[in-house]
Amino acid sequence: MTAQTTIASSAFLQRNWAKDAERFALLGAWAILIAIFAFAVPDTFFTWRTFSSMFGSQAVLVVLSLAILVPLTAGDFDLSAANVLVFSAMLVAVTNVQLGFPIGISIVLAIAVGAFIGAINAAFILYFRIHSLIITLGVGTFLQGLTLWMSQSQTISGISMGLVEMVVINRLFGIPLAFYYGLALALVMWWVLEYTIAGRKLLFVGRGREVARLNGVKVDRVRMLSLVASSTLAAIAGVLYAGMTGSADPNSGTTLLLPAFAAAFLGATTLYPGRFNPLGTLLSVYFLITGITGLTMLGADAFVQSLFYGGALVVAVSLSQLVRGRQPQSFG
Amino acid sequence: MTFRNSLWLIPMILPGAVHADAMADAQALIATHTEIPVFVPPGEPFDARSCMADKSVFSIPVSMTIPFAVALEDGMARAAAEVGFEYTVWETQGGMDSYIQGVDHAVTQGYDLIDLAGGINPVWIGPQLLQAKESGAVITTTHLYDETQEQADFVDASARVPFSSVGEILAAWAYVETEGAPNVLIIGSDDVLPTGPFVESIQDQLSTYCPECEQQYLNVPLAEWGTRIQSGVQSALLANPDINYILPIYDSMSQFVTPALRIAGVEVPIASFNGTPFVLDMVREGTVKMDIGESLGWAGYAAVDAQMRQLCGLEVPEDLGIPLLIFDSANVETAGIPANFDDGYGDAHIAGYRALWMLD
Repeated sequence: MTAQTTIASSAFLQRNWAKDAERFALLGAWAILIAIFAFAVPDTFFTWRTFSSMFGSQAVLVVLSLAILVPLTAGDFDLSAANVLVFSAMLVAVTNVQLGFPIGISIVLAIAVGAFIGAINAAFILYFRIHSLIITLGVGTFLQGLTLWMSQSQTISGISMGLVEMVVINRLFGIPLAFYYGLALALVMWWVLEYTIAGRKLLFVGRGREVARLNGVKVDRVRMLSLVASSTLAAIAGVLYAGMTGSADPNSGTTLLLPAFAAAFLGATTLYPGRFNPLGTLLSVYFLITGITGLTMLGADAFVQSLFYGGALVVAVSLSQLVRGRQPQSFG
Repeated sequence: MTFRNSLWLIPMILPGAVHADAMADAQALIATHTEIPVFVPPGEPFDARSCMADKSVFSIPVSMTIPFAVALEDGMARAAAEVGFEYTVWETQGGMDSYIQGVDHAVTQGYDLIDLAGGINPVWIGPQLLQAKESGAVITTTHLYDETQEQADFVDASARVPFSSVGEILAAWAYVETEGAPNVLIIGSDDVLPTGPFVESIQDQLSTYCPECEQQYLNVPLAEWGTRIQSGVQSALLANPDINYILPIYDSMSQFVTPALRIAGVEVPIASFNGTPFVLDMVREGTVKMDIGESLGWAGYAAVDAQMRQLCGLEVPEDLGIPLLIFDSANVETAGIPANFDDGYGDAHIAGYRALWMLD
């Protein structure tokens, strides 16, 4: 072995080490966070009940984050996702509680309407060649108006207990079923993105639309399907939201949009750094809720939780950039 | 040692007697708020129609997308229509720009009184209100301050809400329902103006009834109810499994408390305040144990009474004087099925205010 090859292989090993460190840094940070809280509040934090509670409570955010992740991977933003979530939850409430539809029909209707909204987003973005930020912002605001009109600005409670049971009451290993829906979705999306042609096409389109087009990928079709998938998944998140609370209100769900983007971006720093990925997003959601839960148990003020949430995002993305030598990142 | 100075020894000598007194006090307080209210005139009668003949009122609600604000404005508009003066509601969806626009519009149109209804803190638009005041408009607030709070300097009168009294009722309820052993989680939003005195009154009253009982406060900013109440309640329940009552001080918080209870797999009763219809429905369904309601129709009449007294140069009452009614499984169906903002309280206020304003 020559001196040159030794240097080359040691540089290669170093690069690999740095890459692996970056991939698993968030996982490590999560473990450290758990260890800190387990040490600080051992009797209450480090119990299965705490973890089952954390896992069970974040399914809506997980599904919404996974929803926006699909168009993000293709290079589009879906700012209407949280409004689709609220609209879909309200549609379930109005049709089930006020119009007396069976809950199954209400759910199917809400998901179908979600897919239709995605198609509207796609039609405007692709036909008129307008940036996805603008169209989805407009469609989202329009949906907010529709939701307020449909609900007459009221919160509607009394959604069928059948849905509530399927979301939070029924459990597997002590964890509400909602968690497994989010987990299953993340695993399916990971498999699709890694091992199917459709998933690889989505990644290619996100990396470079022109290159993808020159390679024979039908870019517009991929983008359209990603927007439809996003709205459909956001509608599913809305159904879960309705099942979680047993009610629907016209405003509060919209506050989930920024945490969903935070989770997606934080997720892009882990497991497959520089790429939006479902498992990283799942990990991010639970990393963030672990911090919030531990801080609450320690009696931290509300503002500390926001400091943690925002700070974790900025620090994680910045550290990830340091590891990769501060090269500009193009997420996708 | 005088008799008066030795009174502090009583709880040490007779703890059972003190407990019994506290229980009797709490039960008595609850009992006064379970009957359909009677009308108590908030001041001297006056000839409202002739006094208000050439007056006009411009009301800016916090947001007409909030059902509470809509119901409050409906009540105020109905009262104004009874008297017969010009009453305009600024149909806003909320937001500082819209409030400023509303004040400007009221000034240019020459309204006599500008009212901020349902939670707009006048400090947010202080410069604009000062200008309006300089141009001759009277500034009032409706349903914002607690009776213990000072109003902003440039506000002429405020129709206050007895949040502190509500706090005392909630504390009494938790004390009685837990048979004198409350371990309470209070949920509030410090960024909402009356939260401070509201929460303090719950805490103080609970400490008075039972100094050794545990209480915990969870502050969740208004904008984060949808994302933080659930996780906060779950954490609090995990950290303290002995919590036996939850008091979200604004009842719309309840919808985020119930999933937390379901996920944590525990049944802890909830009691709250506002009488929002969907929460009254939750009382009927058994998800929420009790909700203290305030008739917003009654509040609307009381607010207009305060505005008219200010414009007519009469003394304005200290608070809105609206009755607080406890809704639980025994009487919640009187609020309607589904519930609404106005049923269940009787209509004593309509005849009462008509007589007070000399309309009959």
